Amino acid sequence: MRKLLLSCVLLLLIAAKGYGQVRAITGKVTDKSGNPVDAATVAVVETQLATATDKDGKFTINAENGQTIRVSYIGAIASVNHIVAPGDNNITIQLDLSGTNLNEVVVTGYTSEKKKDLTGAVSVVNVNEIKDIPEGNPMKALQGRVPGLNIYADGSPNGGVTVRVRGTTTLNNNDPLYVIDGIPTQRGLQEINQNDIESIQVLRDASAASIYGSRAAAGVIIVTTKKGKNGVQRIDFDASTSLQYYNSKLSTLNAQQHGQSYWQAQVNDDQFGVNFLNNQPVDPVEFGGVYTFDWNHDYSNPVLNAVKISPFIDPNTKTMASANTSWFDEISQPSVLQSYNLTLSNGSDKGNYLFSLGYYNNKGIIKETGDTKYTARLNSQYNLFGGKLKIGETLSATYMKDPQLPTGSITILSLIENPIIPVHTVDGVGWGGPIAGMDDRDNPVRLIEDNKQNFNNFGRVLGNVFADVEIIKGLHFKTTYAVDFAGNYYRWLQIPYTAGFLSDNRTIAGQSTDYAVTETWQNQFTYDLTWKKHQFNFLLGEENIKDKYQNFNANAQGLTLADINYAYLSEGTSNINAYGGGAGDALLSYFGKINYSYANKYLASVTLRRDGSSKFGADNRYAYFPAASVGWRISQEDFLKNSNIISDLKLRAGWGQTGNQNIANNATYSLYQSIYGNRGAFNGDSGSAYDITGAGSGTLPSGFTSTQTGNPELKWETTTQTNIGVDFGFLNNKITGSIDVFKKDTKDILINPPYLAVLGEGGNEYFNGASESVKGFETLLGYKGNIGSDFTFALTGNIAAYRAKITKLPAAAINGYPGNGTTQTIIGRSPNSQFGYVVQGIFQSQDEVDNSATQPGKGVGRLRYKDLNGDGVINPTDETYIGNSDPDFTYGLNASFGYKGLSLSFFLQGLAGSTVYNSYKYLTDFTSLAPGSNWGTRTLQAWTPKNTSSTIPALTLVNNNDEGRYSTYFLESGSYLKLRNIQLAYDFKNVLKSLKLQRATFYVQASNLLRFKSSSYTGPDPENPGNGYPIPVITTIGINLSY
Amino acid sequence: MKRFKYIATFILAITVASCKKYLDETPQGVVSKEDLTTPANTDAMVIAAYSYLGNDYYFYPFSSMWAYGSIRSGDAYKGGGGPGDIAEFNQLEVFSNNTITNGSGDNVFYQLYVGVARCNTALTLVEGQDVANYPQKTEREAELKFLRGHFYFLLKILFKHIPWIDETLQKSAANYGAVSNVALTSDQLWTNIANDFKFAAANLPVTQSDVGRATKGAAEAYLAKTLLYQAYTQDDNNNVTGVDKTKLSEVVANCDAVINSGKYSLDPDFADNFLPQYENSPESVFSIQYSKNDNTPLGRVDAGHCLNYPMDAEYGCCGFHVPSDNLVNAFKTNAEGLPEFDSFNNTDVVPSGDYKSETFDPRLDHTVAIPGHPYKYQTDLVYQASWARDPQSYGPLLSLKEVVAYTDPSFTRFPPFMSSSKNWEVIRYSDVLLMKAEALIQMGQENDALPLINQVRQRAMNSTALLKQADGSPTSNYHMDIYRPGVNCTWTNAYAWQALMFERRLEFAMEGYRFFDLVRWGIAADYLNNYFSVETKRTPHLVGAHFTKNRDEYLPISQAQINFSKGLYKQNPGW
Repeated sequence: MRKLLLSCVLLLLIAAKGYGQVRAITGKVTDKSGNPVDAATVAVVETQLATATDKDGKFTINAENGQTIRVSYIGAIASVNHIVAPGDNNITIQLDLSGTNLNEVVVTGYTSEKKKDLTGAVSVVNVNEIKDIPEGNPMKALQGRVPGLNIYADGSPNGGVTVRVRGTTTLNNNDPLYVIDGIPTQRGLQEINQNDIESIQVLRDASAASIYGSRAAAGVIIVTTKKGKNGVQRIDFDASTSLQYYNSKLSTLNAQQHGQSYWQAQVNDDQFGVNFLNNQPVDPVEFGGVYTFDWNHDYSNPVLNAVKISPFIDPNTKTMASANTSWFDEISQPSVLQSYNLTLSNGSDKGNYLFSLGYYNNKGIIKETGDTKYTARLNSQYNLFGGKLKIGETLSATYMKDPQLPTGSITILSLIENPIIPVHTVDGVGWGGPIAGMDDRDNPVRLIEDNKQNFNNFGRVLGNVFADVEIIKGLHFKTTYAVDFAGNYYRWLQIPYTAGFLSDNRTIAGQSTDYAVTETWQNQFTYDLTWKKHQFNFLLGEENIKDKYQNFNANAQGLTLADINYAYLSEGTSNINAYGGGAGDALLSYFGKINYSYANKYLASVTLRRDGSSKFGADNRYAYFPAASVGWRISQEDFLKNSNIISDLKLRAGWGQTGNQNIANNATYSLYQSIYGNRGAFNGDSGSAYDITGAGSGTLPSGFTSTQTGNPELKWETTTQTNIGVDFGFLNNKITGSIDVFKKDTKDILINPPYLAVLGEGGNEYFNGASESVKGFETLLGYKGNIGSDFTFALTGNIAAYRAKITKLPAAAINGYPGNGTTQTIIGRSPNSQFGYVVQGIFQSQDEVDNSATQPGKGVGRLRYKDLNGDGVINPTDETYIGNSDPDFTYGLNASFGYKGLSLSFFLQGLAGSTVYNSYKYLTDFTSLAPGSNWGTRTLQAWTPKNTSSTIPALTLVNNNDEGRYSTYFLESGSYLKLRNIQLAYDFKNVLKSLKLQRATFYVQASNLLRFKSSSYTGPDPENPGNGYPIPVITTIGINLSY
Repeated sequence: MKRFKYIATFILAITVASCKKYLDETPQGVVSKEDLTTPANTDAMVIAAYSYLGNDYYFYPFSSMWAYGSIRSGDAYKGGGGPGDIAEFNQLEVFSNNTITNGSGDNVFYQLYVGVARCNTALTLVEGQDVANYPQKTEREAELKFLRGHFYFLLKILFKHIPWIDETLQKSAANYGAVSNVALTSDQLWTNIANDFKFAAANLPVTQSDVGRATKGAAEAYLAKTLLYQAYTQDDNNNVTGVDKTKLSEVVANCDAVINSGKYSLDPDFADNFLPQYENSPESVFSIQYSKNDNTPLGRVDAGHCLNYPMDAEYGCCGFHVPSDNLVNAFKTNAEGLPEFDSFNNTDVVPSGDYKSETFDPRLDHTVAIPGHPYKYQTDLVYQASWARDPQSYGPLLSLKEVVAYTDPSFTRFPPFMSSSKNWEVIRYSDVLLMKAEALIQMGQENDALPLINQVRQRAMNSTALLKQADGSPTSNYHMDIYRPGVNCTWTNAYAWQALMFERRLEFAMEGYRFFDLVRWGIAADYLNNYFSVETKRTPHLVGAHFTKNRDEYLPISQAQINFSKGLYKQNPGW
């Protein structure tokens, strides 16, 4: 429509041609980096003629030589004057837009808007801040940078990450929807080359997200990849190398210390009358005599003179020499991470293209782990018929190769494996392993070495082709067809082994493949209309999505060679097993949206989407997801327009509904399956085959097993969200920020609760039943300034908080959540609540023991649990809500300083007020909860009659007091503050002037360098309280070049 | 504008045409209930019901019930890596800290109802067939009721008050959820279980061509077992209030039917019951059939016992189910070769390790793995104290009946665990003999019981052929005799009762049912607290153990199930 206006202007000008030298001057307005500026005001000072630039920053205006063309832009610090000179045509005027991002084009779902016109809660990520962070997944680098976006990650090299927008929305899958170049996908971003990303936008509230309807309830993250820029030919090369290492190691006992703790535990047991045989105290001896103790045998004052360790832990066979193995050191390594990217791009009126190649290799800090990733991208667009028809595509291909090691087991094993076990037997070849009396846990080095040949190969091709035709001025029809194909191929070999008393003589070859393919077809009309001060954008569209998934896996035993190059299924001679399955679902949707703006002051937007999903009952497949929002740009009102203080002020309010359909594909059907037999080592068998003839082997007859009860009434779960926000800029946008408050209520949450046992197997049934409510706020505040012209600095901080509670839950589902199921339930509480006993300290004397409530196993030195209901007995009625792992608030602070070519930036991130369950305490504080394992050095500080101030209970070998029960003993503060990233960069473009480089930067940076945690947290890293892959420190040097 | 129309029409045509069927997604790789109604699939569903007999697992071992009937009985300790290793079983063993939230009780409750549900599903399908197409209809009904009786029997002895769900109730959460665990009295529940076995006994053939299927004899024996439990009437607080003589005579009649069928006999050697090569022997009245190399990932093996192997290099896990010192002492015999009813536990043989100075019932070495004694009759595989998992907590012993030699073809590993495809006996013929003897003694016919008990003892006496060290010498000093009234004993009714109780203990030690015998006889509280008072001095892990009378006879109904039932289920007394 803008063009229509321009044409009118043009006509007027043609009519006025007779008046002399007035001529049409065309030109282009760009920002300092050459990007076109849309909707800048171009005016001729003398004639008061005015126009606005189009999307490509172009304008045409009539002026005479000598007249002044003034280009201005809302929020820009200054306007630019250009005096028309003879011969001026196709002039380019650069505008300094620093200090504002209002012109930023924000992709908001099928269309884009300028930031100034937004009425929903949309966060725009500054991709520049994160582009050099080598995390393998761009989402990891976003941790703490977007208020309301919580990222949880461990340190694993393949970049797995959990993303939550505004806390949780549902009791089901809370992963947000990713929209990559317009194509919705549930897969995260770890397969996308971070370097290819042009922009990331987070749609936090429903008024912004509801255009994505049924899958948008947990938030939407929109990713747009780079395109070639008009008139810019460019080659970018980025390279970085990092060194990573672990700085948060758990302190475990060495072989001597282990003996010390064991002796203390045994002596305690003798002393407190727990441990005796035939009325005699048992003299401490561990592992059948491997540990013996030289001590004074005085129970009133026990003194250990020496821990004696036999030379072999298997004295009969003498294959394993007693060692002092530091298992963590054996499994971990400082390692190298490399990343290289090459991007070529070009653009002109006829079209543009961008081609990129990426290589990422992370060796991991656990030996033999790692991730190798190759990415390639081709984005191109062709403009035909004078730009009336645009066709193009985006295509990306990713290949990842990851060794499949049980890293969770390896890290925890390195803590619990006894240090006295040698890595290898005395011949240097065989594996060390546990002896009787120890845990039945494997040698973690063996797990690494025997699995390192097993690689998973992952490939993903994500691409779309589109055609955009301008039917009449302002009216576009765009059709896009996209395919997202992702597949795994995994071949593995199990090598026979003996490690202590553990052994497995099977050689097994296994192979598995799967593929998931999503086809998306979108069709949409957009129409832009401007009439006087009214501006309309219309969108009408349709989208259909089909998902298909199939997998196949098989394994065979009896291979004659334990070699990965031999380990193919055909070489197996026995126990040949094959499995396969498939699934599919479909979505069919219609949507429309109207954006309205009056005089750039009053903004409104209305959205409606109708979604249908194959996952729901025939009568409930379709649902409507409406949304509406309004905005008021107060700063455009006359009374503020010329304010020197307030440069931008906008109030926003939005309301909308979104849905969730993230459940099993066949939830509406009652199903039976022929499960021949499916026993694993750690799970029971729900098989239906039976050796009815008593043959003992061979093919068995089999029936069918009920696997699910269908619910044909299933429907969408619906989230209704209200958001009120304000965006502001003060002092020429030196200070900018926003505040949002929100409330979201989700009803009809799809649950699949545990059920009454008498229903038997397959009694599991999805139904709509629960409700959750979340409210919270997010603030963002930034300051940009400079001292002189050479020194610039910027600070951006954010704080966000939310409170979630379950407001409704059917009785049947209540037991699935912490609580006692009757008087104390999760209703009204966060789903992340913690429920258990309250520890009141340690019994200091027999007197205290005798005068306390009945507590089976109580005794001097033991944990004392609180008799909450005062009935004189410690039992499950004394459990209560003791914590909540939700943080009180999260925060982030980004600071950057620039001096000439030098820049320094750092980023701090943290959270406060969460309580985490420190499961490490089982090992670090107790000798009784994992009696055959190694323990933490904290056991050396445990309570004894001489060390009564200790908070760690007396060591014992027998957990009669049930101290592993869920209690406040294991709950610790999860608050932390981390220096996520610090970077020093030097722009040496000017040093190499002769090379005509557009960009030349050298940088050094470090991730996770500093960590501050609450002193009450006794584990290594409260961010990672379970047994996940440790988060490493990563130090990087890198270079960015553009030509 | 024309173009616009064309394009719009085109798009509308596509979307409207596609939308009707676009969202129809057929479930993949599954069947619906309708698919099951063919005679062939219905018959397969009977197999599915059988298959649940052996679908147990170390956390809910309902094949032998060792975690519920053996470690709660004073015959065995939990074993494993200290009391914290499967702490829920430790709670069962010491009783005092068992709770209504103990997950293992909830788990076995659920698992057994899965078995019931498979029977009910198959029964509905079988009853929907007509005899013309499905001639085996009645027989299969009888098999399914036998299986359902088995699962309900286990539920009944564990939980006492249980919801009775049968095929007459159409399966839905609403219908099943409306049945309370106290809708029927304890006695009515027994009658329902007995009725299932009665139907089975009346309609099953004496011999099945498939050896794994239930037979008439199996149903009669299980009916006898059910009626025997029912005969000991209990009040609401689990006190045994009397013995129903009518029921006892039915027990005798059913045992006689089994005995007189001529199909069953005691195996010549006691060991044969616990060796894979003698599976489905004449002593086997009903057993769970296990298999390996059967095209399932790990074989349909006996995983309920996969924790019960020793820790030496030939095995490697996990040292659970440890015979108590008390049990070992019970195998001691006096100068007459008879059990020492009252004095057996006065001295403890285990710490001495001396099995030569005193005399023993040979069943000791069939039942208990003892340091220095051949493991599973393998003279080149001598059990060592170091094979025990946590001797500090549980001593040096292990259980033998459920395990096999690692060299046996039935042995299989699924690391870190291992087990075998050896069948597990649910009812052995010696049980039939001793059930009949028990009923007769309770009816005052102790003299008729004597030959039955002696038949069992005679076989035990003869079972020493495999109990040899490498040099051919007997493993322990065996000296055993049958009861010879007037020669080595005075066979009064009271003495016969003592003899019967002791014989059951020795014959079925570690086979999983001892605790339920104690509860049936009404002596659990006194017996176990007496046991704890002595055994606590021998092993540290029993500190604080105490049996609460009128409570611990049964497991609590899990609080979760009471919650799921919206309070319809009532908690067992005392909990």
